[in-house]
Amino acid sequence: MESVCVLGAGSTKYGRLDDSIVDITVQASADAIDSAGIEPGDIKAGYISNVFGIADKQVHLGPVIMSNLGISDKPSLSIESACGSGSVSFREAYANVAAGFYDCLLVAGTEKVTHTGTEWTTTYFAYCSDFFHEGSAGVSFPGLFASMARAYLTEFDATEEDFAQVAVKNHNNGILNPKAHLRKKITIDDVMSSAVVASPLKLYDCCPFSDGASAVILCTEEFAKKVGGDYIRVTGSGRGGSPAALQGREHITTIPSTVLASKAAYKMAGITAKDVDFAEVHDCFTIAEVVDTEDLGFFEKGKGVEAVREGKTTLNSDISINPSGGLKSKGHPIGATGVGQVVEVYDQLTDQAGPRTVNDAHIGITHNFGATGASCAVHVFESV
Amino acid sequence: MYLKVFKMSSRQKFIDAAQEGKVLLLQCVKCMEMHTSTTYFCRKCGASKFADNIIDGTGKVATYTIITVPPAGFEEHVPYAFVVMKLDGADQRISGFMGGIATPADLPVGAAVRVYGYDERGLLIKFQ
Repeated sequence: MESVCVLGAGSTKYGRLDDSIVDITVQASADAIDSAGIEPGDIKAGYISNVFGIADKQVHLGPVIMSNLGISDKPSLSIESACGSGSVSFREAYANVAAGFYDCLLVAGTEKVTHTGTEWTTTYFAYCSDFFHEGSAGVSFPGLFASMARAYLTEFDATEEDFAQVAVKNHNNGILNPKAHLRKKITIDDVMSSAVVASPLKLYDCCPFSDGASAVILCTEEFAKKVGGDYIRVTGSGRGGSPAALQGREHITTIPSTVLASKAAYKMAGITAKDVDFAEVHDCFTIAEVVDTEDLGFFEKGKGVEAVREGKTTLNSDISINPSGGLKSKGHPIGATGVGQVVEVYDQLTDQAGPRTVNDAHIGITHNFGATGASCAVHVFESV
Repeated sequence: MYLKVFKMSSRQKFIDAAQEGKVLLLQCVKCMEMHTSTTYFCRKCGASKFADNIIDGTGKVATYTIITVPPAGFEEHVPYAFVVMKLDGADQRISGFMGGIATPADLPVGAAVRVYGYDERGLLIKFQ
């Protein structure tokens, strides 16, 4: 199996963008190509992740992106796995480089939804649930995670203020990220007094709907050495699945796919959770980050809130969780998010993260899931 | 390998049972594993033949949320609850819509509830 590396990374700002879905995807891809020090012609294939291209009147994105990069003869595909599309696409690209099919790939994730308004996005996002059992009964995604939050509050020693602390922490990180959607300092009181979206979750417990695109260049180590730029190694790749509906899970406060994916990724990398210096995790809602940090093995089940309370997950503490600001502050363009996490890890491990740098970091992970964690991918990255 | 799959959807039967205040469970005829969802293959042994097991739709609230920002089609019902309930007659949960819930004080976790129908709001749940 080939040693696989990330050779370059690029991203648009996340937020409300005016350019088309094609434009933002090409802009992020061009940045990644520049960052890698390669030419578009070096790319052998494109992996494009997206969920709601239809909202911007463009599906079958792969060939359109490749055409705009001047490499229309190169194969491409589009991958949809709800909010986990980016990491699932990254995994498939990784497998193809590792297997020796390609020595250099473009992995780009993209989303453009903010122009459609809250009702449209709330409605269409609900189609990512197990619709017959969940969406059909009027539950939104905030509602599904709110159901998880209430179960957590019932089962463990946790308060809504604990969840609010996650939002405060991620906004503190996002302020340091020039590409973040919500660069605003907030307090626990701000979270607690914000409008209830789906009890017990309030507006500031929720990530925003964002537009944005992110891209990375994935290649063999031999290719990376030949080009000569900064690169990081992908040392672990794991995937997992969960019952699609919350009702079918053994525990509502655990996401089985996260446990499976992280175990597989750690095993492949030959590490344990204790070896991880920082993690970009899927904090679509504050409760999600708490559950994630437990399922990823950083804290015992039920102790994730205690860690937040004690500041163990802030930047340069015990383990820096979401130094980018996470989905909560950096934003959540759902098809791009998983790739954007890799961009952050690349920037961190190649000393390009500026004031949000995790000091002395050598091992970072990305954790990204679809829907309420029905699909999930975890990747381990190490500096060279 | 040719798989003999029972290809008819059980969704309509699930809905019909809900109209009667019941819940359709699918029990694997090979290993007896019980399933709530409208599955085609057993999650435990992989077999594809199931026996219908229709039980009373009574249970306890396992968790829930109160929706104040609804998806399209639910605007006139706000606020309402989406409830995940644990069934009394089986170690299974189901989910559905519960109207008339405005604050958490209206619906304690563990409250006794029951299925009473199915319409454009999905599976309908109310207090026993």
